[in-house]
Amino acid sequence: MGGDRTIRETLRGWAFLAPLAVFILGFVFVPVAGTFIDSLHREVTFLPRAFIGLGNYRSLSSDPWFWQSLRFTVLFVLVSVPLELVLGMAFALLLHRPSRARGALRACVLLPWAVPAAVSGRVFELVCNFQYGPANYIAERLGLTVGPVNWLGSAWGAFFALVAGDTWKTAPFVAVLFLAGLSAIPGDLYRQAAVDRAGPLQRFTRITLPLLRPVVVVALLFRTIDALRVFDLVFVLTRGGPGGSTTSLSLYGYDAFAGGDVGYGSAVSVVLFLVAFALSAAYVRIGRFGRGLS
Amino acid sequence: MRMRAIFRVLCAVSAFLAAAAPPSPAGAITFAVGGAPSEFDQWERLAREFEGKTGIRVELLRQPTDTGLRRQGLSVSLQARGSSPDAFLMDVAWLAQFAASGWLEPLDPFLGKEGCAGREAFFPRMIDAVDTYDGRVAALPVYVDGGLLYYRKDLLEKYGLPGPPRTWDELLRYSEVVQRGERRSRPGFYAFVWQGAQYEGLVCDFLEFAGASGEFGVENGAVVIDTPRNREALRFMRDLIGKYGISPPNTYTDMREEEVRTFFQEGNALFERNWPYAFALHESRGSPVRGKTGVAPLPGWSPGGGAASLGGWHAGISRFSESKPESAKFLCYLASYDTQKDLARRLGWNPARRDVYADPELLAKNPHFPELRAVFENARPRPLLPYYSRLSAILQRHVNAALSGMSTPEEALSAARREMQAIVSRYR
Amino acid sequence: MNGEGRTRLPYLAAAAAMTAYCIGPIVFMALTAVSRRPDFLSPGAGLEFTAAHFLEVLRTKSLHFLEYFRNSLVVSAVSAALSVSVAAPAAYAITRLEVPGRTAVLFSALAVSMFPQVSLVGYLFRLMTSLGWINTYAALVLPYTAWILPLSLWILTSYFSSVPRDLDRAALIDGCGPLEALRKVIVPVAAPGIFSTALLAFIFAFNELLFALMLTTDHHARTIPVGVALFEGLHGEIPWGAVMAAATLSTAPVVALTLLFQRRIIQGLTRGAVKE
Repeated sequence: MGGDRTIRETLRGWAFLAPLAVFILGFVFVPVAGTFIDSLHREVTFLPRAFIGLGNYRSLSSDPWFWQSLRFTVLFVLVSVPLELVLGMAFALLLHRPSRARGALRACVLLPWAVPAAVSGRVFELVCNFQYGPANYIAERLGLTVGPVNWLGSAWGAFFALVAGDTWKTAPFVAVLFLAGLSAIPGDLYRQAAVDRAGPLQRFTRITLPLLRPVVVVALLFRTIDALRVFDLVFVLTRGGPGGSTTSLSLYGYDAFAGGDVGYGSAVSVVLFLVAFALSAAYVRIGRFGRGLS
Repeated sequence: MRMRAIFRVLCAVSAFLAAAAPPSPAGAITFAVGGAPSEFDQWERLAREFEGKTGIRVELLRQPTDTGLRRQGLSVSLQARGSSPDAFLMDVAWLAQFAASGWLEPLDPFLGKEGCAGREAFFPRMIDAVDTYDGRVAALPVYVDGGLLYYRKDLLEKYGLPGPPRTWDELLRYSEVVQRGERRSRPGFYAFVWQGAQYEGLVCDFLEFAGASGEFGVENGAVVIDTPRNREALRFMRDLIGKYGISPPNTYTDMREEEVRTFFQEGNALFERNWPYAFALHESRGSPVRGKTGVAPLPGWSPGGGAASLGGWHAGISRFSESKPESAKFLCYLASYDTQKDLARRLGWNPARRDVYADPELLAKNPHFPELRAVFENARPRPLLPYYSRLSAILQRHVNAALSGMSTPEEALSAARREMQAIVSRYR
Repeated sequence: MNGEGRTRLPYLAAAAAMTAYCIGPIVFMALTAVSRRPDFLSPGAGLEFTAAHFLEVLRTKSLHFLEYFRNSLVVSAVSAALSVSVAAPAAYAITRLEVPGRTAVLFSALAVSMFPQVSLVGYLFRLMTSLGWINTYAALVLPYTAWILPLSLWILTSYFSSVPRDLDRAALIDGCGPLEALRKVIVPVAAPGIFSTALLAFIFAFNELLFALMLTTDHHARTIPVGVALFEGLHGEIPWGAVMAAATLSTAPVVALTLLFQRRIIQGLTRGAVKE
């Protein structure tokens, strides 16, 4: 094969990639760069635009609301992601077991994933409702509480409502990922373990978990990033309340944009972006993610 | 095959992308309002009547009830310079930002002409101080709000008290007497309920507790909030809950307008701080306090030294509207004597025009109207700053923290001043 | 696994609990939508069926529900079609052509899917404003397409690489150009994969909230999630029956798609995430 042919093929390949590149550059990379630039400006509806260097970031560092939303966001990730992984693993093990109803079960489990977060937010808002919500009904039946609890009226109640809503919607996604990992484990290994008289727990910790490790890292990465940028559920279910205690970084940024301070909102977004970026880089290093790709 | 179908879709795409939102039909305007379903029905009726009179169609754009969401929705449309909505209703606290951002069309050319009310028809405190920006009228008041003191006439009489308190000290004294007596039969009785939850209403209440000599604003770039009078007011508010125990312990977690109103309406309180809307509800059929409720101006630190916070909703026209004269006609229609009277009669909204308060028909139904008019004449606006909502958020947080005992009133106000100063320097 | 008989009962119980957990809230939503009162669970109140809430949502013109619905369908379908047709040639180039830097392309695409939406939306808002495109379909379709592209690219790359190379090589030898080879050979063979990709793309676009909230202002372009999120505010009396009727209607398309194509969706999801 001559050099000419290689060059032609390369050019053709780039031509095939061009539309993708245009879209991603134009509507993802350029906006992100624009957000970086905006964050260095005073960009407020009622004042002329002006370059202020790190001024917005200086304001952020002394803004208690910003620290509050950072704290909330981190806590939300730390609580909801492990819960989702554990629940997702349990679902995956259940779904993996051969059964006549397996197809129906999988469809059921997939449903919460497909429901728009705006809808599940409204549903959980009603579930937690002081007067009508089943949360109070169930908690009282189980003897957990006496009298109705105003879940969304207290900082902790609202936090757990959000965790419950997020777990409900995303544990199924995690389960689907784990299920794929489980089906890739050769059955021979388990038969061998049975011969060696390994109990179910030993089989899980010695075979299933180690072999699932790459999938667990992928799920951890996806879920962490998603929980870090949580917006829909918070916007609908608590609106960041009560008293701003459940404002996520995304919501804080949006509130600044919608309130007319694009520069400040951009600074918040850049911080979130950097946190997400640092975390994914760390995961990719730890998990050796995508090693077999190239 | 499939690919060809996809390419065909791709062609259709370009057609869609080119299609912008259709503008509203000629001779029609879009008016954005929110509020409860019952209010929305009234807006629909007004729109129909207006169309019958003028032939101009008004399409209503329904907004959420939550004021924060309403402001964000409008602010997004206006930042985007969209021609819809043409006109909209604004809370008094947003006016400064909207006007300073250049989003509001000056209304001066329309006022006082062709059956449109002139400036003098409205409360001067509103039209001159709140609606005028840079010397030009940017919005018209549609209804007025101001803080009031509701009291139980029957209980004051029962304990031989002369009438509604004129000072906070009197309020405290009356409260202690009545609460001690009423607790015997009603263990859940608290003498005084007001708005203490962390939200905009708390700022209104705080400024009212500080009274006419309280201060909140920006003077020559310096934030004025940490003053002796304000500190005293905040100590008093905290002590009402803790030391004196005449306000319920959930004041700073739960108490907003509706919680306060229900508490009072169920007969569990002697005094209530609330907006005028509560009157009609207290007097409604089946209300336990029906016929027992009185209305008075809020007390002050000396007799006559009280000050109501000014609230209310205003209508403005978008600078980006393509139907400004038609929109102005609709605004003038809203501010007309008949419409104002109609809104007062049907929704209990307080007219923004002074002359309506003397209407015999309304007076017969609302004997407290002269009292209201006096309150609105003297009501005090919150600072008219484009970044007011940011200052307010800081104040809400710190005043609430002081009420809950997380910080002392002194710490709270000095921290609030510091944080507000940072905001002021940022936006100056 | 062994011990079928012994573990059957706990298995059934666990499966029942899982099912109840997953569909419980959905059933509750649907029941509230058809119940005369929202508090049908509390003692003394029963479940009385009514269609009034659905009729209210569909008939109240000022709610614009049908318009939101139409906007959502159009925007999601167009975005899905567009992202698949852009991703397909790219996936072809990555799996079939000698392109330097294709790993870089794949990984930058992966990185893009990690970006928080909020770090784009402020600038997109200003961009669309200056173009005069706020509140049009374009304001949503273009960012959605870009946003879904990484996912589409990964799934399609995975599907295309499982198509035997001999197939399209034969087509190339027969004198087809690469575009024809893609269209005539790979696309038909990988059709199920393309369908799964489009399905996922549709669901992602259908459920998106933040961009729609910022880039549209009224019923001319607003989508269902915004409609549901802003369906009355937090204060005052929330008409729960109507809210849940709206929620049920907006969930119906994605639920139907999920139930119909469960297998495909699971395949697509795992292809995108787990390289086998």
